[in-house]
Amino acid sequence: MMLRFCIWILERALLPELASPVIGDLVEQQRRGALWMLGETISACWQLHRRPRVIDGFVHAFFSDLRIAARLLLRSPGFAIVSVLTLGLAIGATTAIFSVVEPVLLRSLPYPDAGRLVLVWERDRDGGRDNIGFATFRDLVAQSRTLERAAAIGDWQPTLSDNDDPERLQGDRVSWTYFRTLGIKPALGRDFLAEEDEPGHSDVVILSYGLWQRRYGGDRSLIGKSILIGGKAMSVVGVLPKSFDNAPNPTAKIWRVLGYRDQSFACRTCHHLRMIARIRPSATLADARTELDQIHSRLVQAYPKEYASVGMVVGRVQDEVTQRARPALLALSAAVLLVLLIAVANVVSLQLARAIRRGREFAVREALGATRSRLFGQLLTEGLLLSVLGGVVGLCVVYLSLPILVSRLPSGLPQLSAIHVDVGALAVVTTLILLLAVVMGLVPAPARRVERSASLRAGGRFTGNTNHATRATLVVSEVALAVMLLVSAGLLGQSLVRLLGVNAGFDATHLLTLEINSTGAGYRSDTSVYEYHDRVREAVRALPGVTSVAVANQLPLAGNVDMYGITDPSNVPANPELVPSGDRYAVSADYLETMRIPVLAGRNFTAAEAAQANDKVALVSAALARRVWPNESPIGQRLRIGGADAPSRTVIGVAGNVRHGGLDATTTMQFYIPERQMFFADNQEMLVVRTTGDPAALAPAVRRAVAAIDPTQPIDKISTMEDVVSASTSQRRLALILFAAFAMAALLLAVAGIYGVLAGSVSERTREIGVRSALGATPRSIVALVVGQGGRLAALGMALGLAGSFALTRYLRSLLFGIAPDDPVTLAGVCALLACVTLGACIVPAVRAARVDPGTALRSE
Amino acid sequence: MLGELEQVVLLAIMRVGKDAYGVPIHDEIQRRAGRDLTLGTIYKTLGRLEKKGLVTSRIGEPTSQRGGRRTRCYVVSAAGKRALQVAFKALRHMATGLDVGLEPA
Repeated sequence: MMLRFCIWILERALLPELASPVIGDLVEQQRRGALWMLGETISACWQLHRRPRVIDGFVHAFFSDLRIAARLLLRSPGFAIVSVLTLGLAIGATTAIFSVVEPVLLRSLPYPDAGRLVLVWERDRDGGRDNIGFATFRDLVAQSRTLERAAAIGDWQPTLSDNDDPERLQGDRVSWTYFRTLGIKPALGRDFLAEEDEPGHSDVVILSYGLWQRRYGGDRSLIGKSILIGGKAMSVVGVLPKSFDNAPNPTAKIWRVLGYRDQSFACRTCHHLRMIARIRPSATLADARTELDQIHSRLVQAYPKEYASVGMVVGRVQDEVTQRARPALLALSAAVLLVLLIAVANVVSLQLARAIRRGREFAVREALGATRSRLFGQLLTEGLLLSVLGGVVGLCVVYLSLPILVSRLPSGLPQLSAIHVDVGALAVVTTLILLLAVVMGLVPAPARRVERSASLRAGGRFTGNTNHATRATLVVSEVALAVMLLVSAGLLGQSLVRLLGVNAGFDATHLLTLEINSTGAGYRSDTSVYEYHDRVREAVRALPGVTSVAVANQLPLAGNVDMYGITDPSNVPANPELVPSGDRYAVSADYLETMRIPVLAGRNFTAAEAAQANDKVALVSAALARRVWPNESPIGQRLRIGGADAPSRTVIGVAGNVRHGGLDATTTMQFYIPERQMFFADNQEMLVVRTTGDPAALAPAVRRAVAAIDPTQPIDKISTMEDVVSASTSQRRLALILFAAFAMAALLLAVAGIYGVLAGSVSERTREIGVRSALGATPRSIVALVVGQGGRLAALGMALGLAGSFALTRYLRSLLFGIAPDDPVTLAGVCALLACVTLGACIVPAVRAARVDPGTALRSE
Repeated sequence: MLGELEQVVLLAIMRVGKDAYGVPIHDEIQRRAGRDLTLGTIYKTLGRLEKKGLVTSRIGEPTSQRGGRRTRCYVVSAAGKRALQVAFKALRHMATGLDVGLEPA
């Protein structure tokens, strides 16, 4: 069997004068025993194929087909350009989205055995995640058997002040085990040591490769030297590899050892650390979850007054860090696939339209002796040429669009730097191109089954019904897909409008915000920090165009989390951890006025009250007042901020609620206290400036005024408050822009599809229409005929699309705000829009049909 | 200058002598040089040698052993022998005085 197959191949592949001796030799060898026939055959074909007719014929046919295809495309440039651009845009968009989704969501994080890395949180009563305190971390590590290694991570924003250009950096304070847990070794120098993770020994840092290159020019002698951080000398012990990607905090550039032991902030209730851990190979994620929950309940029993949480959350690092972006990226992937489908449908439909017009050409070629496979090969080659050209355009689209896309992604995502048009995406595109080539070669094939002789006799006027049905199906599916995209875009657009219409609780117009710092030797005492803030406020207020200036430790919607427990001393719960938390605003007296946050009851504190620290006062937000004193007036009540031993303060007023966490976040509670009445001074402070004119125009003057007071302090994050608000919705904006673009493209393609079908149908039915009008049909009834045909297609597509959008928009739910996925207004709007454009697409063919002169149409027989 | 494969094949033909076609040439090379060449490689080399005029070939008799297919037998021509001599001379000259295990002439 095998032998006969090999002989069959060799007889066709080899030169006749060699085939006989080679086959003879093979037979002889085979008779003698062991021989790998197939290997010998392949080798013989490879070595001796000097003029193998099979391949030669194929190659010849392919190139001649290619020449013909190119010539045909040049002859109908409109068709060629539309097809290539359609394909190119769809392929480009698909590759771009895939290039983002693949590294961010699908590729595992760049650490050895990354699937075993988890983030560990305390679980709130409502299932939310909360940071953990150092004592909890230490107990978890000591008691766990499923965790191999673990590290705590704390925020750290140091100021590098070792040259004339002070710079604020994003960093992390981490346990000495941090990089060992990730499985990463520094490329230069060494990792942190256990003995450095102690109070008093923790002044060692490790730099990212990027920071080392940018600020220190890649100086290898930096290892072991000291750099000035916040006025303090810290020794650089290592530099991380260039490829290192810090998934738990992608913006971090510098790491310092935690150095916690038993300081006041290393407590159980000081929830300011995150925990990363590596699960032992012998344990599963479920094992770790069960075990950490058990440890947690033991801890709750041992320290009943120090936990409000009900358990632990253990999630893979990859899932945890991509959690927020996942729905948007998945929705976009679905959307872009729809666009790709529409594009394919459209190009196939265009091919079909051509196939009808070329029916006679194919009939003639077949009559002259062309085989079916040859004609099929011709169509396939045309598809291949179109797809390859489309692919080239697509690659251009990706290279142009990807950087823009990446720049608009939320910066907390891991591996953003790893996004590029990678081999994987290219392979996918290539596969798509080949797939399209086959599809486009195959689908018009039914058109050719039309009886050739009939086509020849009919002088090219004969058309196939199968063909019509195929095209109608394609148009219906295009409309359906377009409806799905339009509904999604409509819902996202309305969500954004509603979101931006949410009352944030303050007036974001005419506000400039910037971060000011006071670190280093000159600011050891709290008083010096407060005085610096006062001087900055005075200097900025003196600028023309500035109406008021305030400082605050944080601003709404800027992504800060700084919360303290709030206790009513007359009503302390058994577990003090169960008291509500509020956003801490340690501010200057004019903060509420500058932000235009209303005082609903009572009064704001005066400048005199804010200037002293003995008589402590506070304002609370309306939500906080309602939560702590549901049935009483809050004015005159006492409250403690941050623990039972904290000083108590008098509530003097109620401020309006502010959306602190996000426009779409549930309302949080805030309290406002004069900054001098907090028990520490903030070295990083936000400055808010209310201006009479354009706040952005005032930015340089404000920066100069602040820098003039202390040029050694960095100024960071200058932006208008409106930009801060808008940045807080950036992910929705990105999703909306892309969905809207995809939906518009889909709509255009669908309309083009309907127009194409109708125009083709009208020109094919010229005779029929002529007969109709000769028999007394009015132009009006002929217009109705054509519009009805288009309308039926559109209506069917809309019905299917609406059904499909119910399925699709379910996945959009987490991106929607204040609107249901089946919002009737949106659905009706999309249908109305589609009805209008369908009518538009019908009009030209309909008018052309109505103008058919019955005499001409009938005489042309 | 002859390629190494060409030298091996030429020598194999001379060793087989009469009726040197694919199978015996293959076996001779496998036995002496320990190299299991495919028939494709051998015929490719033979084709190249024939084009250079270093071997000549004739069609042999069909046998039942071979499923009734004819053999193609090769003989090294005078030019082929000369080419071998030139190649070995060059090799010897190159190796003279070097400890590579090739005796000088």
